[in-house]
Amino acid sequence: MTAAITTFQPPLSQPGFRLFDGPLRDVADVSADQIGVVGMPSDWTHSSRLGTRFGPEALRRATTFLQSMRPQGASFDPDTRRRTVPATDWLVDCGDAEITAQDVDATTQAIAAMTERLTVAGAIPLALGGDHYNSFPACLGYSRGLAKRASDACFGYIQIDGHLDFSDRLGAWGSHNHATNARRISELPNIDVSNMVWIGIAGWVDGGDLALIEKQGGRVYSAKDVHEMGAAEVMRQALAHAMQGCDELYLSIDIDAMDAGYLPGTGSIVHSGITPRQYYDLLDGLAEAPLGGLDIVEVSPPLDPSERTEFLAAEMLFRILRRFRTRPVTGL
Amino acid sequence: MPLRSAPLPRMAGHLSFMRAQTKAIGDVRPGDLAVLGVPFEDTSAPYAGQSLAPRALRETSVYFGWHANPQFSHPVDIDARQDIQTDGLHERLCDLGDISRGPNEAIHAALRAVTSKISRNGACAVILGGSDRLSQTVQSALPECQTAQLGGKLSNVRDFHIAPLPNGSTTTCNLDTAAQRAAFAQWRDISKPLFVRFDLSVFETSLSALCDRPRLGGCDLDTVVQWLSVLGQQEVSAIMLTGLNPNRPGMGVVKVGQRLMVTALLAFIYARLGFGIYHPGSLTSEENILT
Repeated sequence: MTAAITTFQPPLSQPGFRLFDGPLRDVADVSADQIGVVGMPSDWTHSSRLGTRFGPEALRRATTFLQSMRPQGASFDPDTRRRTVPATDWLVDCGDAEITAQDVDATTQAIAAMTERLTVAGAIPLALGGDHYNSFPACLGYSRGLAKRASDACFGYIQIDGHLDFSDRLGAWGSHNHATNARRISELPNIDVSNMVWIGIAGWVDGGDLALIEKQGGRVYSAKDVHEMGAAEVMRQALAHAMQGCDELYLSIDIDAMDAGYLPGTGSIVHSGITPRQYYDLLDGLAEAPLGGLDIVEVSPPLDPSERTEFLAAEMLFRILRRFRTRPVTGL
Repeated sequence: MPLRSAPLPRMAGHLSFMRAQTKAIGDVRPGDLAVLGVPFEDTSAPYAGQSLAPRALRETSVYFGWHANPQFSHPVDIDARQDIQTDGLHERLCDLGDISRGPNEAIHAALRAVTSKISRNGACAVILGGSDRLSQTVQSALPECQTAQLGGKLSNVRDFHIAPLPNGSTTTCNLDTAAQRAAFAQWRDISKPLFVRFDLSVFETSLSALCDRPRLGGCDLDTVVQWLSVLGQQEVSAIMLTGLNPNRPGMGVVKVGQRLMVTALLAFIYARLGFGIYHPGSLTSEENILT
């Protein structure tokens, strides 16, 4: 009896959660073609409803939970109607970037340093927000890394969002906040506005911002476009537009494009009418897209007591990362 | 150079509807939209919290205060790709504040007096409820008024009902029939004041879950927006928002109901002020930003 106790090996694991229950490693240890996860637990740059600083932890918890409920071996994927097995060594969680409250510059550089390192190594940075401003430092690092990896390369950009986030400034919050991230990204050296596409925009938007985007060749698909044209067709057109003359795609997933009736746990809610199914169809449309980097932002667990927001967001990650996290098999 | 050196303010300024100017009731002019809060409970409601609705609606409306923020250009209805020229909104939209607390009779008397005064001034009262029982007081302040009602319980068969709570009515919530528009045009008597009751229960419950009278099969936002645009083109004397309980159990942090109502109300405001009406020759977004 005593021997049995002393030889017992409890199933200890690392405390806390990692995205998809992946391993926790330094950014320097991520290999080419792996997904490198960077947490951005900051809502300091949101102007009103806070709580997205708890988003990365919620996404890690939700993806780990959902992962545990999925088949661990070969199985039939009803969405793609393909037989797959879970991939191995496809994702590494690099932990959170250092967030310095009240110092947007320091936070920006800390996030960018991590995504740059991942991009230079040939990995795909996946940044977890955080409010949507953090999309800019994540993309900034990706942009710098891409320039180092391939100096002539340029990237297209798709933002699924209820809002344009293309303001130059926002009141007292200045030039770097959750309403200006896309504008700041448009100013990066290896992207052109004509390769930027927005999907899911709802309600009333600023006329000046919209005019500026379209004058420079950017494309905006409203939530109504998604309803009338269908999610798959919208994404097909969006991808074609974003990738004209580009080598890679950067994708920014703002969960608030989904109707707040389904997904209330986010800072700037809209009633777009976009359902979870339509959102997933949009992401499925990028199944074979040449993803160079991506982020998912605005998950605010404190704003949704039902916790369904973080699970809907986790499912978005399952969709967009399907080709990485599974391998097709035959003969089952 | 640091991107920002100063701490960030989260909110600032006096909380008025859409950051509108505040006015005394005597200063309300013809053509104005005068916002008024009635933060009172219905004591027979299943949950407490309706009295918090006016503040919740004002807080949400700040997001749409385009006219008060010089860094914004002008709003565009992204679905219709229609520019909304908000010049003059700041002059015509005002917030009068809330009806004061007091004895029941005093509250009703004050609401009746304020509504009557606004109407006599040729303005439109935008009343943020609160209990929908007070809507009868508003009606009594508008002699021989006609009432168009979105959601809520049927109270008078002579009213025009748009998607009321189901109780045997055959009214549907589908706007896209010429018959319904024609029925409204036939019902409307322009010699009488028009009162619009806008209850959160007009919406499908799953869109907000913040209504004390939940319903399945209600309208989506687009349908309500279209109706409020139609109503906003009428000479409305008062519109009253009811049915929102921002404090439903466990839902205090979920702001979905108030966003839903304010988004829809914006269509009424723009239409009432003539901003949402298409005029050939009006500026496009690009022209507007370049001028």
